[in-house]
Amino acid sequence: MSEIATQDRRRRARAQTALGDALKQGVLLIASFVALVPTFYMIMTALKSEEEYAIDKLGLPDAPILDNFRAVLVDSPFLAWMLNSFILVVGSVALSIVVSCLAAYAIARMEFKGRETLLALSTSLMAVPPVVMIVPLFVLYTQLDLISTYQGAIIIYAGLITPFSVYLLTTFFRTVPKELFESAKLDGAGDLLILWKIVLPLSLPALVTLVVVNSLYVWNDLLIAIIFLQEDAKRTLMAGISVFQGRYNNQVPLTMAGMVIASAPMFILYIAFQKHFIRGLMAGAIK
Amino acid sequence: MTALQSQKLKPYLYVLPLILLLAFVFGYPLLRIFEFSFKLVRGIDGPWIGLRNYELILGQSLFWESVLHNIQLLLAIPAMVVISLLISILLYERITGWKLYRIIVFVPFVLAIPIIAVVMKRMFQFSGPVNEVLRWLSLDFLALDWIGSSDVALWTVMILIVWRESALGIILFLARLLSLDESMLEAARLEGANWWQRVWHIILPQMRGVIEFYVVVSVITILAAVFSYVYVVGGGRGGPGTATMVIEFYIFNALIRTSLPGIAAAASVLLFLVSVLLIFPMFRARRRVREEEA
Amino acid sequence: MDSRRHLSRRDLLKTSAMLGAGSALSGLLPAFAAQAQDKTLDMWWWGEQELPGLQKFVDSSIAGYKEATVKPMLQDTAVVISQFQTAAAAGKAPDIQYLWNGVYHMESVWLGYLKGLKGLVSDDVLTASNPTALSRFGGDIYRVGWYPLPMFWCYNKTLFEKAGLDPEAPPATWDALLAACEKLKTAGIEPLGGGIQDGYWSEWYITHSLPQNLDTLGEAVELFIGEKDFRDPKYHEHWTKLAELKTRGYLNKDMSSLELYPGIDLVAAGKLAIGQSIGTRLPADSKATGGKIGYMTMPVFGKGKLAGVPVVDVQGLGISTNAEDPKTAAAFLEYLHSPERLKAFWDATGWIPSNKNFDTSVIADASVRGLWENWGLKPNISNVTNLVPGQFYERAAIPTGQQIVQGSMTGEQAGELASNTAKEWREFNPDMVENYRKWALDLSAPL
Repeated sequence: MSEIATQDRRRRARAQTALGDALKQGVLLIASFVALVPTFYMIMTALKSEEEYAIDKLGLPDAPILDNFRAVLVDSPFLAWMLNSFILVVGSVALSIVVSCLAAYAIARMEFKGRETLLALSTSLMAVPPVVMIVPLFVLYTQLDLISTYQGAIIIYAGLITPFSVYLLTTFFRTVPKELFESAKLDGAGDLLILWKIVLPLSLPALVTLVVVNSLYVWNDLLIAIIFLQEDAKRTLMAGISVFQGRYNNQVPLTMAGMVIASAPMFILYIAFQKHFIRGLMAGAIK
Repeated sequence: MTALQSQKLKPYLYVLPLILLLAFVFGYPLLRIFEFSFKLVRGIDGPWIGLRNYELILGQSLFWESVLHNIQLLLAIPAMVVISLLISILLYERITGWKLYRIIVFVPFVLAIPIIAVVMKRMFQFSGPVNEVLRWLSLDFLALDWIGSSDVALWTVMILIVWRESALGIILFLARLLSLDESMLEAARLEGANWWQRVWHIILPQMRGVIEFYVVVSVITILAAVFSYVYVVGGGRGGPGTATMVIEFYIFNALIRTSLPGIAAAASVLLFLVSVLLIFPMFRARRRVREEEA
Repeated sequence: MDSRRHLSRRDLLKTSAMLGAGSALSGLLPAFAAQAQDKTLDMWWWGEQELPGLQKFVDSSIAGYKEATVKPMLQDTAVVISQFQTAAAAGKAPDIQYLWNGVYHMESVWLGYLKGLKGLVSDDVLTASNPTALSRFGGDIYRVGWYPLPMFWCYNKTLFEKAGLDPEAPPATWDALLAACEKLKTAGIEPLGGGIQDGYWSEWYITHSLPQNLDTLGEAVELFIGEKDFRDPKYHEHWTKLAELKTRGYLNKDMSSLELYPGIDLVAAGKLAIGQSIGTRLPADSKATGGKIGYMTMPVFGKGKLAGVPVVDVQGLGISTNAEDPKTAAAFLEYLHSPERLKAFWDATGWIPSNKNFDTSVIADASVRGLWENWGLKPNISNVTNLVPGQFYERAAIPTGQQIVQGSMTGEQAGELASNTAKEWREFNPDMVENYRKWALDLSAPL
């Protein structure tokens, strides 16, 4: 009797789990659908002709065409925009990492006055909205002839991403065991050598995180790009997009082809390195 | 110079580049906006006018409207938290295909905001695909003028924000979940606690810190980093009308469009002060996350 | 290659002759010519965005110019003014600057960033280029016109025919317009509108409608400096009229979610009967429809002297006070108006340069030629929205139209908002009010 009851309960429980699982799958499927819809729409529309889009905004393209992509690449300097964005990303992320590594090493491993204050001050800058800084920087840059220069924009971007980098690296460097430093010191290694040979290799995960988070930030920025890179030849991808969509706003498939091209680099990087991407962001967000 | 002295100086050499960089990008501008905010700036300087800029801003309905819009956008946060929690917990249960789902739900965060905004703007046009689907489903009353109506446009911006920023929440929460002690969950399961009970009594209490942290970060994002969303959706000017005008845009407009750098500076000072107030809860939340993990 | 150099050398001599013997010599004597080539001019410009092909013209002009090396920079739309003003304040402005009409460059004039061009650029070129009344201040002129923007209401002749309307006689009065809209609506055609999501439709609407109750453009300035008031029914009647079109259901239903140009496309595509358009669009639209795009002035409701007068805005170029050698800059501007360059402008852009002496025989399209003859060469007024202070533009000019089109604002409320915003502008810009007051004198003076 009790045996049957237990079996019954188990069966019911299993049925419930099955139902629960289906429900959970359903929720995740819907979430995935919602997450992907704009991307789908973007790609499908880019493959349609103007005429087909006018009649059918939703369906799959009847006869996919690549003309839109060709037109976009011929008419608009997407590749030049990407190159500009790329230069800014590499320049600012590299500058920021060098500056942050040196500072974080000193803060984590050396005794000096004002150490904690410096860390607190630097970290608190994370919450300062970039828009606050543009008025004086714009005036200063005009006086220094730094408007529409790579170096000018790189310094600003590097400045904006550095507080987070210092914070993350300091926390990370502090977790490196003391004994490692002491034995290295006894071997006569200088601080720079220790940083280069011991600390940095151990901090690889943190560095990957920084590269991912900071690159995304610089690559995606619109505000600084619009104001400090006004010359056409220096335009970044994001600023280019806002111009591009204004010019072709009546040709939806063409616009979408442009968007597909614009999102391709990050998308490909994401798919190729998604493990590092997600792990990096997780670490970046939590720590 | 003695060896001791150079040893004392060394740390400062290491942090010097940092100090220079931050002084240039943050320090100098912050000092100057305080100065500008007390001047009637034309071009790059102007006469001292005391608190007049603040008086003008605080007496302007457009400024308060922008503040209100920022506050209204904060309503997105509860939705973001609930969605992120739900999805991250489901992923945490390692449901069939969870690894694929994890890759997919993070896609919104990989796409740049200006790109998303351009795409969404087309989708939400009055005779665009979203309304077409709604009409096809006979939900005509839902086929709103998403980007054209002053009453709806800010909600459309909010939908965009929820859609993208939730992806970050999911990843954040999932990271925390994966570091949870599973034995408690297992014990609860053996005791016959159902899914809701497990989530409510075991998982959520342990996630307080990370949720709090996410909320604070999102508040800062919405106060100070929604420029890209609004720039594209609001037709480049916080429209229709002034329906999507937010503080960041107010500052941008004053500086770039209406040649009032002094007003822009004063508004920046106000925004800065509010952000500073928000830093403290952020630090507290961060500390709690770390303590929880330790 | 050789012939081109020869040609430009000849033009050069022509322009040099205008400048006087001294600089003319430089074109002749090799020693002087070498010296002349050391001269460099910075030129910041804009316009490729609204007139594709302009880049080609700028590039070819610079390549063909031997008197000085010109370094061009195409500016971003959002920052054309702020970038110039900030640079000028820092003493780093370019020699030649692209200038939108009216307040967009007048502010710079008042701040002392722009040079008066009378006596610097030859009177012939200055007058023929039509820099418009909005470029005059204190008796001087601050721009050379570059290319004109005739502004008009466009309509689709095919749709007019379909609705039983005469395609060659568009409505001239407000009542005739309402009757036409009713007919179109009955025929199942969306009568009037375009796209207002990005706001420019609001601006253009004011361009055409506000002058209808004005006697001079100076009167518009008085609205901002507080001598006249938008709450006076006469000064917001144009918004009341827009509201009337809305309540009668004559505006296209996706108007609020479309942007300006896709809205004009609707007219060309035969989905909308009447819209607002601009000259630079006409060549393409006319070609695409086989000449079925008509143009008209806005149907008249007002009683001002400016009612029914065609509107022509002109984009222009000016010389900054930072220019080390203003004469060289002026010579380059004159060169851009040489007959050979005017022709090159047409070839590169398919559009007309702003010069009364431009040989119109090259214009093949009858509509385009007709527009230029009726708008450009006959009495016209400039674009009144170029008098609007930036703050008023963002806070009132654009939002009023958008809200009326949504049906969430009446004409009277629009007048109220405009009046308040004008007051707000005076509070925010006490230093500008005096300048506007002086400007009103130039604007009210007969040409």
